[in-house]
Amino acid sequence: MPSAKCKVQDNRWSENSPYRDHEGAASLRPPVGRPLTVAVRLVFCVLSLALLPSVSQAQSTRDTIVAVQPKVVKIFGAGGIKGLAAHGTGFFVSKEGHIVTIWSHVLDADLVGVVLSDGRRFSARVLGAEPQLALAVLKLNGAEGVEFPFFNPDDAVSTGTGTRVLGFSNMFNVAAGDEPVSVVHGVIAAKTIIEARRGVFDSPYSGPVFVVDGVTNNSGAAGGVLTTRDGMLLGMIGLELRNAKSNTWMNYAIPVKDLSSSIQQIISGKFERKKDPNEDEPSLKPRRYKPLDFGFLMVPDVVERTPAFIDSIQIESAAAKVGLKPDDLVLFINDELIQSCRALQDAIGRLESGDQLRLIVRRGNELVTVEMPVPRKKE
Amino acid sequence: MMKRLMLMAVLCLFATVGIRPAFAWQSTAQQLEELEERAFKNAVSQVAPSLVRIETVGGLDQVQNFLLGNGPTTGVIVSADGYVISSSFNFLSKPASILVTTTDGKRLAAKAIANDTVRMLTLLKVEADGLVPARPTAKPSIRVGQWAIAVGRALDANSPNVSVGIVSAVNRVWGKAIQTDAKISPVNYGGALVDVDGSVMGVLVPLSPQDNSPVAGVEWYDSGIGFAIPLADVLATLDRLKQGKDLRSGLAGFNFASTDLYGGDTKIDRVRYDSPMYRAGFKDGDLIVELDGLKVTRPAQIRHVLGSKIEGDKLAIAIKRGEETKQADLALVGELPPFEAGFLGVLPVREKVGSGEGVGVRWVYPDSPAAKIGLKPRDRIVKFRDQSITSAAQLIDQVSRVRPAEKAFVVIRRDRKEQSLEATLGDYPADLPKELPTSAIEAVSEAESKAADEKKAEALEKPRTGRFGEEVADSKNAWWAFVPESYTPAYEYSLLVWLHPPGDTLEAMVYDSWKIEAERRGIILLGLKAANIGSGWQANEAEFVHDTVVSFQKKYSIDAGRIVLHGYDKSGPFVTHLAFKHRDLFRGLLLAAAALSERPPENLPEYRLQFQLICGSKDPAHPILERMANSLRSIKYPANFTSLSDLEHRYPNADGVDAMARWIDSLDRL
Repeated sequence: MPSAKCKVQDNRWSENSPYRDHEGAASLRPPVGRPLTVAVRLVFCVLSLALLPSVSQAQSTRDTIVAVQPKVVKIFGAGGIKGLAAHGTGFFVSKEGHIVTIWSHVLDADLVGVVLSDGRRFSARVLGAEPQLALAVLKLNGAEGVEFPFFNPDDAVSTGTGTRVLGFSNMFNVAAGDEPVSVVHGVIAAKTIIEARRGVFDSPYSGPVFVVDGVTNNSGAAGGVLTTRDGMLLGMIGLELRNAKSNTWMNYAIPVKDLSSSIQQIISGKFERKKDPNEDEPSLKPRRYKPLDFGFLMVPDVVERTPAFIDSIQIESAAAKVGLKPDDLVLFINDELIQSCRALQDAIGRLESGDQLRLIVRRGNELVTVEMPVPRKKE
Repeated sequence: MMKRLMLMAVLCLFATVGIRPAFAWQSTAQQLEELEERAFKNAVSQVAPSLVRIETVGGLDQVQNFLLGNGPTTGVIVSADGYVISSSFNFLSKPASILVTTTDGKRLAAKAIANDTVRMLTLLKVEADGLVPARPTAKPSIRVGQWAIAVGRALDANSPNVSVGIVSAVNRVWGKAIQTDAKISPVNYGGALVDVDGSVMGVLVPLSPQDNSPVAGVEWYDSGIGFAIPLADVLATLDRLKQGKDLRSGLAGFNFASTDLYGGDTKIDRVRYDSPMYRAGFKDGDLIVELDGLKVTRPAQIRHVLGSKIEGDKLAIAIKRGEETKQADLALVGELPPFEAGFLGVLPVREKVGSGEGVGVRWVYPDSPAAKIGLKPRDRIVKFRDQSITSAAQLIDQVSRVRPAEKAFVVIRRDRKEQSLEATLGDYPADLPKELPTSAIEAVSEAESKAADEKKAEALEKPRTGRFGEEVADSKNAWWAFVPESYTPAYEYSLLVWLHPPGDTLEAMVYDSWKIEAERRGIILLGLKAANIGSGWQANEAEFVHDTVVSFQKKYSIDAGRIVLHGYDKSGPFVTHLAFKHRDLFRGLLLAAAALSERPPENLPEYRLQFQLICGSKDPAHPILERMANSLRSIKYPANFTSLSDLEHRYPNADGVDAMARWIDSLDRL
C-alpha cells in the first residue's frame, strides 16, 4: 500500500515535469542515479506517510499554480459592445490543441484568437458545442507538431464542501500577452443544482455546480478552470449569473466530470447534440388542473406574492373528504415549496391524470399533510 | 533488524532534509494546507446540527426600493426546546408563514417571537424538543486573525454552505459585531460564524456603521466586509426576547455639546426631560468622566459603550459639575418621552451681523405667551433664563430648553430700559398667522454698513440673481434657480428646494407661482431635475440634492434654519426620505398634495424640523393629510395643515402659495 502511494507521487511528478520550471522539477524529482535500496525506498515511503497523515496528493498550492497556468489560455473573439466582454478563458484538453471553453457570445466569430500563457498566438475554430451544457470545444489552427500541456477531462474529480480550491481565469482581461491568467482562491461553498427553467437563474445551463466562496466569476472569467489546491481538475468557471432567490451574484463552476463524455465525443467527431427536453414543449404550458378540480378555492390573487390561503371548500369534494379547511395555508405541493397563489396555480396546473396530489398545509402552528388522487380529465 | 531499519530511516530523513530542503518546505506547507482544510470541514460538521434552513411564504417583494429574494435562509438553534435566532433581514418581506427545516430534514412551522432592533436579529420558535443548541465561543477568546468560517443553509437543502476567512476585527459598529473577511451574503445571513473548533462566535447579519436601516450593509455582500453578532451577547438577552418584546437601543437621555466625535469633550448639551439621566439629577453642562468603570474623555468612547446597550441594561455613569463629582447607576430605557420645545410667540429680527446685545422682536404672535406679557415689535430680548442673548439662533435654542407650561424669565430692553418679565411658555401653534408682515430687508441697514466691507470683496464676483440654470457635469442631473433681484449678502434668505414629480419639472409653473413671494419674503428658489425626468427621483440621487443644496449655501447668504424641502404629488416619498436622511441640513418639509411616505423619526432637539402639509379641499388625499398633521403634532413636531377651498388634486393656487410663503417666513419662530 505505501509503495503504491509513492508510485502515484512519482507518476505525477514525471507527468507534470515538462511544464514545470526546471529548478522545481529537478528538486522535486527523486534523485536519479542515487543508489537507493528497496528497503530505504520503503522506509522513505513510510516516513513521508508519517509526516503527511493520509495525504494523497503531494502537491502544494504553489506547485499546482505552476502546473496549471500553462494549460489555461486567453480567448479573444466577438463582443466589445453593450458591455459584453470580447475576451474569455479556456483550457487545453489534449496535447494536439483542443480547448474547452464556455459557450458564449465570444465565440460568435468565424475565428477566435487564442493566446497562451507564454504569449504564443494561435487562431482557433469552434469544433463543436453543447449549449445546454454551456460547453464549446475549440481546435487551434496551425498547431500541427506542437504539443501542449493539458488536462485530461476524464481525470476530473468531485469534492466536498469546505475543500480549498483555486480558480484560474482571464478575469477582466488583466493578463496581457505573455502573462499567465489570474489565480484566485477560496473553498467550495456548496454543491448545488442550477435550475434554469423556473426563472430563478437566467442561465442556459441546468445542472449541478460547485459554488465557490471566492470571487471567481467575473467578466471574461467564464471558461476558466477550478482545481483543488493540489491540482485536481474540478470544474469550468461559468458565465456571470445572478441568483434570483438571494439576489446575489453567484460564483460557480460546472463539474468537468459531467462534461467529459461530451468533450470526448466532440473531439472524436462522434458528437450528436442531445435533444433539449424543453424543446418539444410549448413555452407557455396550459394549466391542466385547477384547485376547483379538487374542490377548493384560493383567496383572490392580489399581489406578487399572495400567500396560498384556501378560501373555501366545496361540500363533499375530495378536498372536504381529506379534511382541508378554509384558511389553511398551502406550503408544499408534492414537496415543492409554494410561496404564492401563482406558484400554487402553476404546480396544480402541471399535474397529470393519475398523479397523487400531496399537500402540506399550515393550520395554526401545525403542519398537516393530505393526499388525494388527481382525477381523470376528459380531453 | 528493526533497529537498523530505524537508524536508516533517520539517516534517510536527514539526507532528505539536507539535500532537498525544497521538499521539506513543501511537505510542511502541504501538510498545513491539508490539516487546515480538514479543520474547516470538521468545524462545519460540528456546527451543522445547530443550523436550520428557513423558508418563507408570501410577503412583500421589495423594501425601500430594495428587491428581496424569496429563497431559503438560515437560522441558529439557541435552545433544545425550539428557539432559533436568525437575521432580521431574512424576514423583511413580512412573510405570511415561516418554515424551519432541521438538519435531519424535519419540517416545522415557526413563529417569529420578537426582534432585536439594535443587532438586527429575529427570534423564532418551533414546537420541538431535543434540538442541538449552538455552542458559543467565549467572547474574550476571539482574536483578530484567527480562522472564521461562515456557515449557512441557503444554497443546498442537504448540506451547509461554507465560506472561509479570518476575524478582521472585534467590537465593530459601536461595539456590536465581529467583522470577518469570509463571504457574507443572503446565502448565509442568519447562519453562524464558526471557530475551527466548531463553536459559534456569532450570528451573521448585514450591518453598516453609517446607517441602521434594515437593508443597510447588504450592499457589502461577498465583499470581504461581513459582520456577526457575538452569540454570547445574543444568549445574554435571549430571555428578554423570549418574552415576545422587541429589544430596542438602551437610552440614557442626553446629547453632546460637541459634534466632533473624536476631538470634542464629553460635555452634555441637554439632558432630556424625564429620561434616566434627568431622573438621576444630571443637568445640561455636566461633563461625563466615567462609564461602566471606563474613564472617558471623547464622545466616541461613550458611543462605543452605549452602542451595544439594550433597553433594560444598566449603565454606571460618573460626571463632573465644576469641582463636584456625581455618579449614578442608570437603568436604560427603550423610549424617551418625545422632545417638546416650548413656544414664546416671537419672530426675531433677522440680523446677519447682530449688535451682540440681545435680539430684536420682529413680530409677536397674537394670543401667544409673548403677547400675554406684552412683548411688542422693536423690543429687544437681552436675557432668557439668566443667559445673555447674542443671536436669534441662541435664543431659539434657549427657548427650546423650556417645556410648554413651564415658566421662564425674559429680560427685554424697551426705550433703553430693561424689564424682567415672567412668561409661561405654550405649544407651537398649528395654524399659520393670518397676516404676516414681511421682514423688511432694509431693517438690516445698521448691519449693512458693517457688511459693506464684505460686499466690496464679493463685488468682483457678485453671485448671479434672477432666474438661471445649469447642467451638472458628470451627471444627468440639472437644476434651475431664482434668486431675488434685490439679493444682498447682508440679509439671510430662506432656501426653497423644489423637487418635481415624475414626468414634468413644472419649472415654469413653479417659477410663476413663487416669483413674487420669493422677492417679497426673501426666498431663494432652487429647482432640481431628476436624472430621468420621466421616471422621477431614484434613491441614489439623494447625494446630488444634498450636494447642490450645500453648494448653494456656500454661494449665497442663506439662513441654515430656513432650508425647506418641497415636494408635490408623487415626489412626496423621495422628499420625505431626503428630509429624514439629511436631518442636519433640512429644517422644513413642505408637501403639497402629497403624504409622508415614511414614519417620521423621533423629534430631536439637535435637529429642528417643522412640517407643512397643504392640499385642496376636494383632493381625495385631504383627510389623510389632515390626520397626518395631527399625528405629527402628537409626536411633538411643529406641523401645519392648510386646506385650500374648492381645489382638486393639483398644485396649490395663489392662496396656497401665499400660505406656504408665510409658513417659510415664520420658520425662525420661537
